[in-house]
Amino acid sequence: MLWFERQLVATMVSHLGHDERARVASYVEGSLGAMPEHIRLGVGAESLVLGAWARLPGALGGALHDGSGVSLRALETNPLNPVRQYARLMRSLVLIAEHELQPGAGG
Amino acid sequence: MTTLDTEIVVIGSGAGGAVTAATLARAGRDVTVLEEGPWVDPDALEPFSLAEMVAKYRHQGGSAALGAPPVAYAEGRCIGGSTEINSGLWHRLPAELAEEWRRRHTIAEFTPTVLDAYADRVEQDLSVAKVPGEPPLSSTILERGAAALDWRSVEFARVFRYDRDQRGTKQTMARTLIPRAVESGATILPDCRVDRLVRKGDRIVGVRCTRRREDGTDEDLTVRAEQVFVCGGAIQTPALLQRSGIRANIGSGLKLHPTIRVAARFPHPIDHADVPMHRITEFGPALEIGGSASRRSHVALALSDSTADYGDAMSDWKNVSIYYAATHDGVGRVTTLPGLRSPLVTYRLTEADMSRLARGLLLLGEALMAAGATELYPSITGAPVVRRRDDLVQWWESVNRSRSNLMTVHMTSSVRIGEDRTRTGADSFGRVWGLANLRVNDASLLPDAPGVNPQSTIMTIALRNADHFLAHA
Repeated sequence: MLWFERQLVATMVSHLGHDERARVASYVEGSLGAMPEHIRLGVGAESLVLGAWARLPGALGGALHDGSGVSLRALETNPLNPVRQYARLMRSLVLIAEHELQPGAGG
Repeated sequence: MTTLDTEIVVIGSGAGGAVTAATLARAGRDVTVLEEGPWVDPDALEPFSLAEMVAKYRHQGGSAALGAPPVAYAEGRCIGGSTEINSGLWHRLPAELAEEWRRRHTIAEFTPTVLDAYADRVEQDLSVAKVPGEPPLSSTILERGAAALDWRSVEFARVFRYDRDQRGTKQTMARTLIPRAVESGATILPDCRVDRLVRKGDRIVGVRCTRRREDGTDEDLTVRAEQVFVCGGAIQTPALLQRSGIRANIGSGLKLHPTIRVAARFPHPIDHADVPMHRITEFGPALEIGGSASRRSHVALALSDSTADYGDAMSDWKNVSIYYAATHDGVGRVTTLPGLRSPLVTYRLTEADMSRLARGLLLLGEALMAAGATELYPSITGAPVVRRRDDLVQWWESVNRSRSNLMTVHMTSSVRIGEDRTRTGADSFGRVWGLANLRVNDASLLPDAPGVNPQSTIMTIALRNADHFLAHA
């Protein structure tokens, strides 16, 4: 996973215990690696751009990364459709892993 | 480099490949099946679970047709193909649709009578049955909603066998036709990816593969065969043909069932162990309303799609189930990209197509409200959660290209059969134009999306084509 992807996942699983966080992150990493190459390339490119944005000094970077984590809300409400799709993808991967790893996931 | 010789090579072991292999092996032909994915014990993994996604889905389920909006899709990649991961719903091709396809695409021996005879044989072979006793609540909710609105609904049969305790087992290809093909002498090679077909003049003389050995290392394998059947599904089949230099009408015309979902919350618990078997057919075949798997993770995903605060609904997830409206609009393309293994899949929906999806979403909402739902979360970014029937109209404006989150599990029509060589990739029985011994026999051949679960149609056409091959080749 790229830096921004790790930061985003870490933010989304911050409420989980250490082992669960590691398992979710491992699943997300595996899923990103298993994607069709051209989709992974696109996601990777977005991660690099968003990572660079998040590292900008001051309010610009702070809108995306406030030091304690990435603002998923800022991504989900971004006016650019590819950014919202990126947020949805990462959120989906985390949610699948988080909920499937809990007992009774099948109901 | 290892070389194998066989009379017939079948590439892919899903609904099309398994029928082809079993039919030809039973007739005494020497058959070898090459499957890219692994053999997975059908009893080993919980249906629709994370473990199943990792083991049986191509790209672990993370594929999408690019477009505005993109359409996420899932394909099986294991012995048995997508029959291992689908819901097993069974719907024969409607006679009027078969007749329309026959006329529009000039398909020989494609009358409803002919197809019904083959469908009978497939059903006898597999076991197709309705749930014994009362269907689960998640399913009857659709019936209840439809009845309240005076709409038609149908309980569909499934490819399931039920024991004396009414426990159902899905009759996937890994449980049925693949073992039967083996009993008849067929050889099955899992973990064997076909890289390309080797062409000489108007014949395919071999198949180049990469096979994963049990120790995890790869070996190059060439399979020499007199006859080749490509049955990799509507995405992988055209990709393989294109990689092999066969491109005329291959990959264009891809059809999906674009699906828009709603997570519906009820004031009582809903079962989550099964997939609803009822469908609202009032608006078919243009629009189908049904239900899908609703494990905890699916519910979380569906609730989160609206981006509304869903914490309260998630804490009550056992009262939430997922339903959908599906159309068969739009058209797409499968294109191989130099140097990349995965093909680029694109899909285009017109404004009229988007309007039909919006209409489907509103009708779905209406049915769920009539069935007693108290909250509806649509799979549209930023769309409002609806709690009253009068508010459903707010969704109309929300369904647009940039905010709709669509998915599908049905991909068809990327090769297409028919006698018009300018519009089809294969003749009426799946033989690829210009090649004497190359046939396609899977979902790619369907002239159009059927608007319902395509497994029955795929298997029926595959059996018909296999029989035709035995009679004429």
